[in-house]
Amino acid sequence: MLGKVIIEKVLYAALETNADFAEVFIEDKFQTDISMLSSNVEKVDSSKVFGVGVRVARGYHSVYGYTNSSLEDDLVKLASDLAQSFEGEILNIKFELEEMKVGNAHKIKILPSEVSIEEKVDLIKRANKAARDYDKEITQVGIRYTDYVQNIWLANTEGTYVQDTRVRTRLGINAIGANEVTKQSGFNGPGGHYGFEFYSDIINVEGAAKEASRVAITMLHADECPSGKMPVVIDNGFGGVIFHEACGHSLEATSVAKGASVFSGKKGEKIASELVTAIDDGTISNAWGSATYDDEGNLQKRRVLIKDGILNSYMIDKLNAKRMNDECTNSGRRESYRFAPTSRMTNTYIANGESTFEEIIAATKFGLYAKKMGGGSVNPPTGDFNFSVGEGYMIRDGKIAEPVRGATLVGTGSEALLKVDMVANNLLSAQGMCGSLSGSIPTDVGQPTIRVSEITVGGRKGAN
Amino acid sequence: MNFELLFKEAKAKGIEDIQVYLANDSDFEIEVFKGELDTYNIASTKKLSVKGIYNGKMGTVSTEIINDDMIDFIVDSIIASAKTIDSEDEVFIYEGDKEYKVVEGLYNSSLYEVEAKKKIEDVFNLEKLVMSKDDRIRMVQAFYGDGSRNVLIQNSKGLKLEKLVNTGIMGVYVIASDGKDQRTGIEYSQSNDYKDFNFEELATLGAEKAVSLLGAEPCESGEYEILLTNNASASLLAPYVSMFSAESVQKDVSLLKGKVGEVVGSSIVTIVDDPFMKKSTKSGSFDDEGVATSYKKLINEGVLTGYLHNLKTAKKDSIKSTGNGFLSGIVPTNFYIKPGDLSYDKAVKSMKKGLIITELAGTHSGANSISGDFSLQSSGFLVENGEIVRPVALITVAGNYLTMLKDVVGVCNDLKFNFSFIGSPAIKIKSLVVSGI
Repeated sequence: MLGKVIIEKVLYAALETNADFAEVFIEDKFQTDISMLSSNVEKVDSSKVFGVGVRVARGYHSVYGYTNSSLEDDLVKLASDLAQSFEGEILNIKFELEEMKVGNAHKIKILPSEVSIEEKVDLIKRANKAARDYDKEITQVGIRYTDYVQNIWLANTEGTYVQDTRVRTRLGINAIGANEVTKQSGFNGPGGHYGFEFYSDIINVEGAAKEASRVAITMLHADECPSGKMPVVIDNGFGGVIFHEACGHSLEATSVAKGASVFSGKKGEKIASELVTAIDDGTISNAWGSATYDDEGNLQKRRVLIKDGILNSYMIDKLNAKRMNDECTNSGRRESYRFAPTSRMTNTYIANGESTFEEIIAATKFGLYAKKMGGGSVNPPTGDFNFSVGEGYMIRDGKIAEPVRGATLVGTGSEALLKVDMVANNLLSAQGMCGSLSGSIPTDVGQPTIRVSEITVGGRKGAN
Repeated sequence: MNFELLFKEAKAKGIEDIQVYLANDSDFEIEVFKGELDTYNIASTKKLSVKGIYNGKMGTVSTEIINDDMIDFIVDSIIASAKTIDSEDEVFIYEGDKEYKVVEGLYNSSLYEVEAKKKIEDVFNLEKLVMSKDDRIRMVQAFYGDGSRNVLIQNSKGLKLEKLVNTGIMGVYVIASDGKDQRTGIEYSQSNDYKDFNFEELATLGAEKAVSLLGAEPCESGEYEILLTNNASASLLAPYVSMFSAESVQKDVSLLKGKVGEVVGSSIVTIVDDPFMKKSTKSGSFDDEGVATSYKKLINEGVLTGYLHNLKTAKKDSIKSTGNGFLSGIVPTNFYIKPGDLSYDKAVKSMKKGLIITELAGTHSGANSISGDFSLQSSGFLVENGEIVRPVALITVAGNYLTMLKDVVGVCNDLKFNFSFIGSPAIKIKSLVVSGI
């Protein structure tokens, strides 16, 4: 691994022009992916990732470069090349890297490297069997197992020098149900900042697999969803993707700092129903989106984004803090050394309210119950969001009625948040991968069951 | 790394055949925002992917640390990987084709003859140009990037192939506001010849895309005639590309299974996979397995002619690989709906009551490649009697992709490719279900 002396040389090379800040990010990652389809282990792939990213900045302007080389000459040259984009006199900044701090906030019991590929395959076989045994209409099951150990080192010209290890694993089960009429799929993908103990101590593998099949079969026998504006009850767990998409992205400094977000300049203002308190917390023990340090070498923390409907905090990285003249919230994250860090979510959720799930359903005369959400996206400048409903039911006269498929929810984040009129007390989180400027990163989404008084529902059945 | 040494070690440990795939990439990227250089990235990376046959199974491994010290790790990983695979599919390391077509125009040094300073200056000017187009333009992000990739494939059967490709992209992301409503537009062009970037055109089209949508509101729910613009149609085709993979067909997850020779689209629909297209990084005379690539019409005048194959799926179907075996699986090269003769303006004029859809959001989640169903948030324009009446947003357009292909009633002549070289001209659809107010 690169020693302190070399890292310091690279950092000084980055400061040879007019730059006032430089950072070195070193990544060494080992990942195993195993996939099964048609009950056969199709692919077992291990990959070794190694690279170094160098960021050089003046004020909030930065340049970034990366390479797989760990040779001193190559890295000094990269830093020096990057420095050339800042013209002007050298600032003669002096610094010394502190003693390396090692992140250890999330304990791992069984490292993936201590488990044989055969044991990992056995796990997949168990999931496959459970998913297939669920119903004879399950015609295909695809399973993908992933684990990795990502070691990162971060050093910068403020003296920061930290090392962090992220150990994550995830089991994705995709079940397909088919009859003469159609094919429908159901997905469940539990994961966490855990080693192999995740599959014995934390989740029930068979249960997770059956859940994917249950959704596929339910949707196989569902009717097309009607379209139109209606109240929508969004269930806990992955339902939190509504907040992630409709609001979370618009609270990231990447869009706020440039004034491109609908929430720019609205700190202290009411942006959501008073029932909504929303939190982004990168410190939750062993959660999927947690780490000890963020990818700029700062300790992860808990951020209250919205308190009782009032905008309390954005998610801000180091450089955007300078641009916004606001405090850094230690929100810098990146997929790998191939990306410069920027403000990103970690584990984001809406806090518990006071209603119960049953009360919310009973209080809804007609509407859509979105039990499982699919993915979605948002356009931060307009706040327009869309997401698909993976498992939906109509609500009629305060009761859950027939299942419906093919529904999409569209709206604007700012409006939807204001229209939240009931929040339950059953907070649950689920795992996702979030793609944005600094790559694809693990994030948790979460919420209790909530009701939005009106959302446009798009379905193939036409107006209700 | 000494590949001959790797091959020798592999053989000694019982690996029958082995192949390396080495990619050397270099990338450059800049973005300008509000008169300032917002992004400046440079990168040079290399990645080695190795596969080998052990006891009849294919083991794989990849590494970004590439030196002779890694040889043991590579060989051991391949064996460990192969040992647990229980798929019965026959696997291959390819000895090579007799002939590989010479594909011209895949690398152009003009991208590097223009200095970084000049590129930055051009992008600054592009931003200003867009701002000057309309008072309602609030912000512009202008960007440029180029990248090159050198690929080397070498195997223990004596095959050695090399190719060098590059491409550049120049574009603008525009935010317009009229005080009440805010809209965005993106316009870009891709080429490996720097002279091809037309700043005036990029600025005009980018500005127009954002400004023309200002004041957009949902339209009434119902069934509408639909004109998907080239960008919109390409983005809708993208999630359905996997249907054409023979792997999807053989695993029974493709809607096109068992439909070769059948009519799956309107007679004016032809879908092409063209590995010989100039100025595309997806082009080349061989795939990642070393198989010679080929031009093919997967749907010819509405009739499905076949699927995309790699060595494994081709063997199962007792045919030749189509040269679509890539590291990421069976994927097309340059994949597009073949343009027709209809002009875009004429297509608009021909609509009585319809919608032009310029943008479809969330195709990664709202378009289901297994069922073919889609329900997508869209924006565009309401058309009545051949005239654009007003912009429309926050609606969903829903349908089924295969049904839609049969309902294509017009194919325009304005083929355009997205970032991953999936392309389409604007296409006119008989009708789709629209959900608005």
